[in-house]
Amino acid sequence: MLTLNHISASYKKTPVLKDISLTLSAGQTLAVVGESGAGKSTLIAVILGLVKADNGEVSWSNSPVKDCLPSLVMQEPLSAFNPILPLRQSVMEPLKAQNKTITEARLAQLCERLELPLALLDRKPNQVSIGQAQRAGILRALMAEPPLILFDEPLSALDAVSQKKTAQLIADLQQEQGFSALIVTHDLGYAAAFSDYIAVLRKGHIEEITSTTEFIKKPQSDYGHELRAAAFSLGSLGYSNLEAKRENSK
Amino acid sequence: MILSVSDLSAVRSGRTILHPTSLEIRLGDRIGLVGASGSGKSTFGHALIDNLRAQNIPVAHVPQTPDQALDPLRSMDFHWRETETALGLSHDAERQTRLFQALNIEDGDLRKRPWGWSRGMQQRFVIALALIHSPALLIMDEPTSALDPIVAARTMTLLENYLSTRNTAMLLITHDLGLAAQQVDRLLVMDEGRIVEDAPTQDVLNNPQSQVAQSLCTHRNWLTLPR
Repeated sequence: MLTLNHISASYKKTPVLKDISLTLSAGQTLAVVGESGAGKSTLIAVILGLVKADNGEVSWSNSPVKDCLPSLVMQEPLSAFNPILPLRQSVMEPLKAQNKTITEARLAQLCERLELPLALLDRKPNQVSIGQAQRAGILRALMAEPPLILFDEPLSALDAVSQKKTAQLIADLQQEQGFSALIVTHDLGYAAAFSDYIAVLRKGHIEEITSTTEFIKKPQSDYGHELRAAAFSLGSLGYSNLEAKRENSK
Repeated sequence: MILSVSDLSAVRSGRTILHPTSLEIRLGDRIGLVGASGSGKSTFGHALIDNLRAQNIPVAHVPQTPDQALDPLRSMDFHWRETETALGLSHDAERQTRLFQALNIEDGDLRKRPWGWSRGMQQRFVIALALIHSPALLIMDEPTSALDPIVAARTMTLLENYLSTRNTAMLLITHDLGLAAQQVDRLLVMDEGRIVEDAPTQDVLNNPQSQVAQSLCTHRNWLTLPR
């Protein structure tokens, strides 16, 4: 279980995270939503130990998070990979770091699962599509079968159809492998469809952490309400009143 | 008045990005151009702008992010005056105030450079720039994808309120059918450089004809995904 206990962190002396406490149980998904600059990416950096918290503790089952060797899937697949290495080499890195190996059969199996032709791994990141590169990023994250995977806006570089397919794929893989997922996103539609809990982050504060089903019905905070209304009016949460009106007037 | 283009096409490095395409747009239309990444949507938008400008029809283009429209070294005031000059207009403080109020950026400090404004305000400033000469057609290329949902929703509402009082037509280019469905009455579906569907929004949603439209419809909203 991932536990954050009264975490505060700052960037160049500006406070970015203020008194954050949350937990994420094994196999569960927590979506962290909020505006740009709310501190979502800093939260990930603190969990991974890339940014040191000013106060509070982060732990995975009472040990430091880095001991569980968590993975990170980044927003921009192209900048997440070394541009001069074939994908295969980058994808293998988590195993190498732990002196583990993988059989070619198992790799082929994983690739098939990710709809990623095995031969593509011999290409460089800029020689595959953005969607394929992002799936290779997910493959890399899964390689060492970590108990915790962090996703920083994993879909925002993809188009609407591949977004939904990739989201489904992540959810299916989670079912099979049982990892916990912390997903940072500003797409409330994605959070609503694929998480167990939604944490609303604003200006470094957690406004609410609510079960996703509850959140869709009734967010607890004013800001949560605003986010929900915006997602409806942008069409990412489903039919809006506007569309219903059009439907009725037909 | 009807804006009309015929047989627009584009070839890049020997590859046909846009097959000959014709289109008619009535004033006040709200049209969505949807399709996957790489289907030729933006290329079609650019070809449309070039062609209409050659016909002396005022068109304006709002790119995906304000970075593509604004010079980081110049003040907002400079951008405004430069646009007026480029369009052959004299400075009109009243017009500026009206547009700034419509887009809710009247509190922005014009002496500042783009990064002195928030991203949402920058994007609304770019939209205001695009509306200076009351274009017949406003082309918005993924205008909300770089913005927070709350800011994005607010921007679209402000823009729609402003446009609804005049005759400007809008072409919204997006890969997100969910977004388009909220904003437009007519949908063009693009696939591999061709417009494969052109129908009222509700017809495309209820009865998509092409494979790509069917896929877009199936994956339209997060909560209605097929499991």
